[in-house]
Amino acid sequence: MEFAIISTLNGVTYGLLLFMVSAGLTLIFGMMGVLNFAHASFYMLGAYVAYAVSSIFGFWTGILVAPIVVGLVGMAVERFLLPRVHAHGHAHELLLTFGLALIIEELIKLFFGDFPVNYQMPEALRFSAFEIFGTGYPFYRMFIGAVAVIMFTVLWLLLTRTRTGIVVRAAERLPQMAEALGHNIPIVFMFVFGTGAALAGLAGAVAGAFYPTNPNMGIELGVIVFVVVVVGGLGSLKGSLVASLLIGLFSSFSVGLDWSVASMFDVVGLGDWARSVGGLLTLELSSVSATIPFALMLIVLLVRPAGLMGERN
Amino acid sequence: MTSIQKILLALLLVLLIAVPPFLGLGWQNALINVLISSLFALAFNLLNGQAGLLSFGHAAYFGVGAFAALHLMIAVEDGLFFPTPLLPLAGGLAGLVVGVVAGYFSTMRSGVYFALVTLAIAELFHSLAPHLEGTFGGEAGVSSMRMPWMGFGFGTIIEVYYLTLGWVVLCGLALWAYTRTPFGRLTLALRDNEQRVKFLGYNAHYAKVIVFAVSAMMTGVAGALLAISNETANYSLFSGSVSAQVVLQTFVGGSTVFFGPVIGATVFTLFSFLISDLTRSWLFYQGLIFVLVMLYAPTGIGGVIDHHIRNRRQLDLAKIGGPYLVALGGGILIAAGTVFLTESAEVLFGQDYAMARDGASGGFPAYDLFGLSWSPLNPVTWLVPLVLLCGGVFILIRARRVIDRLWARKDEATTADMTVGAGGKE
Repeated sequence: MEFAIISTLNGVTYGLLLFMVSAGLTLIFGMMGVLNFAHASFYMLGAYVAYAVSSIFGFWTGILVAPIVVGLVGMAVERFLLPRVHAHGHAHELLLTFGLALIIEELIKLFFGDFPVNYQMPEALRFSAFEIFGTGYPFYRMFIGAVAVIMFTVLWLLLTRTRTGIVVRAAERLPQMAEALGHNIPIVFMFVFGTGAALAGLAGAVAGAFYPTNPNMGIELGVIVFVVVVVGGLGSLKGSLVASLLIGLFSSFSVGLDWSVASMFDVVGLGDWARSVGGLLTLELSSVSATIPFALMLIVLLVRPAGLMGERN
Repeated sequence: MTSIQKILLALLLVLLIAVPPFLGLGWQNALINVLISSLFALAFNLLNGQAGLLSFGHAAYFGVGAFAALHLMIAVEDGLFFPTPLLPLAGGLAGLVVGVVAGYFSTMRSGVYFALVTLAIAELFHSLAPHLEGTFGGEAGVSSMRMPWMGFGFGTIIEVYYLTLGWVVLCGLALWAYTRTPFGRLTLALRDNEQRVKFLGYNAHYAKVIVFAVSAMMTGVAGALLAISNETANYSLFSGSVSAQVVLQTFVGGSTVFFGPVIGATVFTLFSFLISDLTRSWLFYQGLIFVLVMLYAPTGIGGVIDHHIRNRRQLDLAKIGGPYLVALGGGILIAAGTVFLTESAEVLFGQDYAMARDGASGGFPAYDLFGLSWSPLNPVTWLVPLVLLCGGVFILIRARRVIDRLWARKDEATTADMTVGAGGKE
């Protein structure tokens, strides 16, 4: 019981963090058809900018400045770099963002070193929210989750309840028609890209203070975020929320379980045979927890490439 | 291939055979790596350049080939009779088998989705391999020894070099010949218009599976050659950086030209061999080169060379050579400025400098770079890269304007030629 409740709490907060990063990625893909390989680098950039700023001006300033800086970087990428390769097709756009991801990672290593930096939450936030099974549950985890929920609500209201939201959705559906009606679509694209990057930056700034902040954090999260947006459906915000929670819960539960295929065979009395075969059959769930998201992504791509909630194939 | 190209290729081959015995061990090793990454990039580009399928998970087949060869090497150590020079066959076979299965599923999708499927397959291998002790040797990996065969000891690097050279040349030529077969031409058609291929009555999916499998097979041979050279391999061969490296090399070299990837593989492998000792930022430079090539020469080095060869008759070398040299000078200035700033950043933000600052009680002591001493508070230190960058950009823009004008004039001349030519035929 203790395991189940703690795992659920951890899984939901981790899932919400994943969602903060994947929301921007899926928004950008839905609108421009660009799979942004540099998106997870924006997450890392956010953490490092927040670290650099907060060491001088305090934690909250860092949290505020990081998304703005990262958002501006995102806008610059969309404005000055992507149009140059647009004529050569989506593959080149993808490759460009891939190259940018490499550059951002190396720049971070250049300025901050190839090791984790000491980016910490302020003492004022370092307390336990409540006692559960004799141990305190860190408030900061709840804080990460709350930031994600607030962000999702604001984004949702913005997209569905405001004029700007209508223009953005129109630009996503039929960009040429929206442009013909007099809306400045390139500016809309630039702001959507910037917003997506800023969200990733915010996620990095918030999560970096809790999880380790190192130059690998972008790549580590990046592949998982790809899994999330693919499983949820590329371009679908709701889908990526569901998929984020799913992957978050799965990864927090699986690390503590020692189920294997062999133990499933036990039910029908073939457990010993399976153990004698070894290999894949005796791998424990905890050790393949990093593998299953990719297997899930593979299955979704092959069976239903539109993902759980995507509309288009 | 034109006769000039054949002569050049033969000359290159003679050099590759004759020169290495006179080189040091480090260079011999570097050349082995150049050859292996060339074959890897060629195999990758069969899929990318020919069939238009961008794979982000070719590390999977590279790694599979390496492990297959190692397991066979272990069996040979234990007394199995198998000629050492034929070990890459095991890698090729393993790559082929895995490639058929992976290719069957991944080619069901195209575009971004194809890239994601290949990425997922490679990540499956990467995340499972450390847990499979028997096949991939866990985190430590699998090791073996090269066994002597028929008087060849395979104990020296030069022997391994010639073995690698033989296989790479053989496979490279086979891949080139493949693109010349009717089926190879069909692959090009798949890239350009899949719908039409289907209308012509071909099974597009099977055709793609075959191309994928051939590409994976050759990748497996490259992996096996690496395993033979290193005598060891672990799960890091499956990592995303291996897949990324081949993408980088291929596109910098030029994916539209058959031998373009070889250029990219050679440039990057030698670059890392020569530069990685000098600076820790070489990966940064590599990324920068890649992005610059993507932005300003999307067809890659090979594509640019090819473009010039195609237009060599219309091009007035005497006229365009001057502006090219000026542009090169501008590029060198920009590169110098960038390198100066990067290396300065590396020093100033490094741990050694932080300690030096502690020693100087918080001040900014001077640092050494390129044999000179620079003070961070002296404006001259920052004026140097600024002048280099601004001067370089200025020169480059001016030279580019001249070059653009010359090319435009050439295009006009070509159109005029063609009208005259067509008129003459009538």
